[in-house]
Amino acid sequence: MSYQTVKIVKGSGGWGDGLVLTPTDERHVVLSVTGGGVHPVAAKIAELTGAEAIDGFNTHVPDEEVMAVVINCGGTARIGVYPKKRLPTIDIYPGSPTGPLAQFITPDIFVSDVGIKQISLVDEATAAAAASAAAQTQSKEGGASDQSSTTTATATQERPKTVSQTQAEKGGLMSWVVRFGNFIGYVINTLLSSGRQALQIILQTVLPFMAYVGLLIGIVNYTGISQVLANSVTPLASNPLGLLLLSFIVAIPVLSPILGPGAAIAQVVGVLMGTQIGAGALPVQYALPTLFAIDGQVGCDFIPVGLSLGEAKPETVSVGVSAVLFTRMVTSPIAVAIAYLASFLL
Amino acid sequence: MGDNPVMRGISWFAEHFIGLFNESATQFAGLVTGILPLLMVMLTAMYAITTWIGEERVTRAIQWAGRWAVTRYTVMPFLAMLLLTNPMAYTFGRFLPERYKPAFYDSTVSFCHPITALFPHANAGEIFVWAGVSAGVMQAAPDKYATLAVLYFMVGLIVILIRGIATQWMTGVLIKRGGHEETFKRYDEAYAEGKIQGVAE
Repeated sequence: MSYQTVKIVKGSGGWGDGLVLTPTDERHVVLSVTGGGVHPVAAKIAELTGAEAIDGFNTHVPDEEVMAVVINCGGTARIGVYPKKRLPTIDIYPGSPTGPLAQFITPDIFVSDVGIKQISLVDEATAAAAASAAAQTQSKEGGASDQSSTTTATATQERPKTVSQTQAEKGGLMSWVVRFGNFIGYVINTLLSSGRQALQIILQTVLPFMAYVGLLIGIVNYTGISQVLANSVTPLASNPLGLLLLSFIVAIPVLSPILGPGAAIAQVVGVLMGTQIGAGALPVQYALPTLFAIDGQVGCDFIPVGLSLGEAKPETVSVGVSAVLFTRMVTSPIAVAIAYLASFLL
Repeated sequence: MGDNPVMRGISWFAEHFIGLFNESATQFAGLVTGILPLLMVMLTAMYAITTWIGEERVTRAIQWAGRWAVTRYTVMPFLAMLLLTNPMAYTFGRFLPERYKPAFYDSTVSFCHPITALFPHANAGEIFVWAGVSAGVMQAAPDKYATLAVLYFMVGLIVILIRGIATQWMTGVLIKRGGHEETFKRYDEAYAEGKIQGVAE
């Protein structure tokens, strides 16, 4: 039988660098440890590669014969068991390393949120390169699997006894219950991994900025600089024409790229203006035009990067930078004017 | 002892040194308890929803929105920001012909703060443009906070439409003035043939 190579990439909510798999005579099994028979993802991999898909719940397969493992776990156990044995692991659910075995879940051996669409056949040229890499991992695995073979046997034999598994095969109401349970599992796992993602951005970006803003407001308030600033900015910000002027100034092509980075200046001015509005020094109606007046420079520092993210050609970038910078001088005051009119609805 | 000018200087310094950081700590605590819990749950929900909707469906909606100027500079930037968040939103520019890319960028980047009024997750790192000003409104007139959020969002949409159209026009002018017309005609032809970068499959 001739074997083919497949490439498996992570899904939209997934994790991992992706896997390139080729079955060999020793390692020719795609183990589906998903419950309810062989999972379509395992079947697809087997179909493309010429390997054999086996339901890991019913059948015990020695680790030495396993090419890859398909799991549906975002929690603690299975997600770590197979990566710990250095077996390439494909998780149906979106998930990133968690649980007690998190340190073994590495991007070269684990990929998550995988569906049928994430699996593709690799052509001959890249397959050759992958084969040598696969050979390396297998030699590494050889040593590891000897040590873990005893634990493996107990681990795999325990699993077929799961109640949900035996029930799923019987069909009828219980199989529906199992399917419902799997669906709930998917929902919960997505939410958990989203929570982790949210916490990450809060730790890395939001909290440091809050500390910085907190310190800044603290200093400005405590030393009385806020009073001085208020006295100087308020005349500009307390009438519509002043706001128009402010929006024009920040949009001047020489200034706007300097004022832009990280929206740091817009944020600080926003906080200061907010303090003034809160204290009653500026009317509430001015909040809306102010929001646009302090933001006329938004993104002007980022134009070449933003355009190249959109895969723009060099000519487009060179034309686009001036186009954006010049139109801002007009559109920025227009924005304030519209916001001023809209603020009467407030 | 308390009359010693040196000691008085030291204690004045100590008092205000501590006072300064106490004030900063109060501000920090206010930010963390005021904004963070909402942001955290909202981020979680939005990330999950984006995962469930799936990449292909998002891409299809974006390509559909890119066809007409009115949606290209309103719906498209909104969806891009909402689903991909800042700064990945700009990658959707790849579905557009070269001559529309600067306008799309201008339009999208201008929406990265108005969108935070209703969807703080879209640009969580720069939330204070909105949160700073709105905190003052919350303090002075809490009943107007929600209206302000909606107005900021709506006016934002109008502004990005104007910016998109203006920059699209300006790009056209600069292409002509700079003598790039031949180059961009080639890009347009390549686009018409369906050679969109980044959509290899």
